[in-house]
Amino acid sequence: MKQYAYYPGCSLESLAKPYQLSAKEVSLALGLDLREIEDWNCCGATAYFPVDELLAYTLVARNLAIAEKTGLTDFVAPCSACFKNAYYTNNYLKKDPDLADHINFALEEDSLHVEGTLKVRHLIEVVLEDVGLEAVKNKVAHPLAGLKVAPYYGCQLLRPRKDHEDVENPQYFEELLSAIGAEPLEYASKTRCCGASLIITNRKAALEMVHLLLKEAIERGADVIVTTCPMCNVNVEVYQSQVNREFGTNYSIPVMYFTQLMGMAMGIAPRRLGIAREPVPKAQAPVSA
Amino acid sequence: MTAELSFNQEIANMMYATHGNPISHCLQCGTCSGTCPAVEFMDYTPRAIIGMIRENFKDEVLASNTYWSCASCYHCTVRCPAGIDIADMMYALKRYSMWKSRFKEGLIGPDFSEGFVKMIVNSGKSFEPILATTYLPKFSAGDLVQEALTATGLVLKGKIPLLPKRIKRLKKFQRMVKRIIPLGELS
Amino acid sequence: MNVQKRLIIIDDDPDFVGGIKSILERAEYQVDTAYNPKDGFQALQARRYDLLLLDIMMGRGAEGIALARKIRKDPKLREMPVLIITSVREQIAFLFPGQAVHPNFVDVDELVEKPVEPKLLLEKVSALIKAAEEKHLQPQ
Repeated sequence: MKQYAYYPGCSLESLAKPYQLSAKEVSLALGLDLREIEDWNCCGATAYFPVDELLAYTLVARNLAIAEKTGLTDFVAPCSACFKNAYYTNNYLKKDPDLADHINFALEEDSLHVEGTLKVRHLIEVVLEDVGLEAVKNKVAHPLAGLKVAPYYGCQLLRPRKDHEDVENPQYFEELLSAIGAEPLEYASKTRCCGASLIITNRKAALEMVHLLLKEAIERGADVIVTTCPMCNVNVEVYQSQVNREFGTNYSIPVMYFTQLMGMAMGIAPRRLGIAREPVPKAQAPVSA
Repeated sequence: MTAELSFNQEIANMMYATHGNPISHCLQCGTCSGTCPAVEFMDYTPRAIIGMIRENFKDEVLASNTYWSCASCYHCTVRCPAGIDIADMMYALKRYSMWKSRFKEGLIGPDFSEGFVKMIVNSGKSFEPILATTYLPKFSAGDLVQEALTATGLVLKGKIPLLPKRIKRLKKFQRMVKRIIPLGELS
Repeated sequence: MNVQKRLIIIDDDPDFVGGIKSILERAEYQVDTAYNPKDGFQALQARRYDLLLLDIMMGRGAEGIALARKIRKDPKLREMPVLIITSVREQIAFLFPGQAVHPNFVDVDELVEKPVEPKLLLEKVSALIKAAEEKHLQPQ
């Protein structure tokens, strides 16, 4: 089994516990050995950059340095914001020797050193590239036939652009959903922002963003919205009642992590995927399949 | 007296290390404004802000809510035909306003950033932003979060630990931070 | 006759730079300016300076610290006296409230906090230049 340096990120220890559970179960079943790195710290999300970007890079670099020490080559994050921060910090460390030197000077305090040699990847990329769609299909025990799924890419998984890839209309999430027998829906909001921390700092704006997303997915007939990021998941799921109050709607659609949906298709028991621990019950969702 | 630097040049200096093109490349095409998911809630659109910076409308730019309304989703950045990292420019404006304490009154963003960074420096870990507010004073949004969590039974079911975990090597972590930000006792 | 001393200020705050530049020029120094660390380092490589006045918070963050470390590692620049003039405590006051600035892991010659008294500034500048000259004249 290939081993990966696994960085869960803070959310997976609290609100996104179902993501943690399902990511581990599904990875194991797919032959991916996720090794959680020791004593990792918060990646800073988007909050450091308005204060000091060098500090932001340093905190991410500490996690990269801890992962490098394991000797593993791939750094895997299930959270899109953690992934984006790790990906770009790793890149900048490689390209900017002055930055790397300064950050390594700070890391000395914790007897660490970073080179920027890791391959930083999001969990969904690992599933698609290292496992592959064919192998995923072979693991499906209960194809989710007839289940209409709105894949929600969100922001930080896709952006900023890394290497000329299609960030306007990516298809890989849809392909993964098809592989587990579900029916992916096309909808324009799939790459629009969920509002992220604006849910706190500019509530009206964020609720409007969540509202548009829910509206489009539901109008297209979605049974469930599927995400790759704790922040997206929480914003779209937890704030449905606020959206309903603000906009006079009556939305109640389940929101799941892609690993939860994969786990269901693969026949893993719901409780082991953290299902029934979420705010919006999944009872009406895919089990019928 | 020496010629004073324009606001446009000040922002260019804040962005000297940006990975995109300088904002002087802006065509004023408005793609960013058309793309921005938060534009309706901004005092000025991103396109207008860039134009105002270039025309040195320093007070107006700083007093607007535009840059603190940016969710850093990078949609504008990937679409900008002039190759400007506009989300990065918003970060530069946030830093400028934080360092000089010059931002619009009543915004939550600066307090939130401050509280979040403080939380991480003190523990090495965070709750996700929406949870952070529950534990950080001063946030008017605290009630909203509490309500959302209660409505969905999350708090009652005991799904959330009461305090963020701490990393093990916290002291060393803090010394690391102090090598970057030269403040505080070195102990 | 004394050769005129040449100083450089690397600081992103135009008001502050304008202020101390005129104080220093009135005291017969030649003063160059740079408003970000990159331009500043280029200027330092282009010609010799008798003293650097350096800010901490610029561009991405506490870049002055990184620049000071880089200068101390550079064989051509390491002898140049560096005076840090900063308001970092005010700029990100919330992080370690009430606590001192401590760039003592950076080998700089002196640190003062803004705002700076003109008289104190001139004293420090001339003392640092003098000390550097004496060090230079001493037989190794």
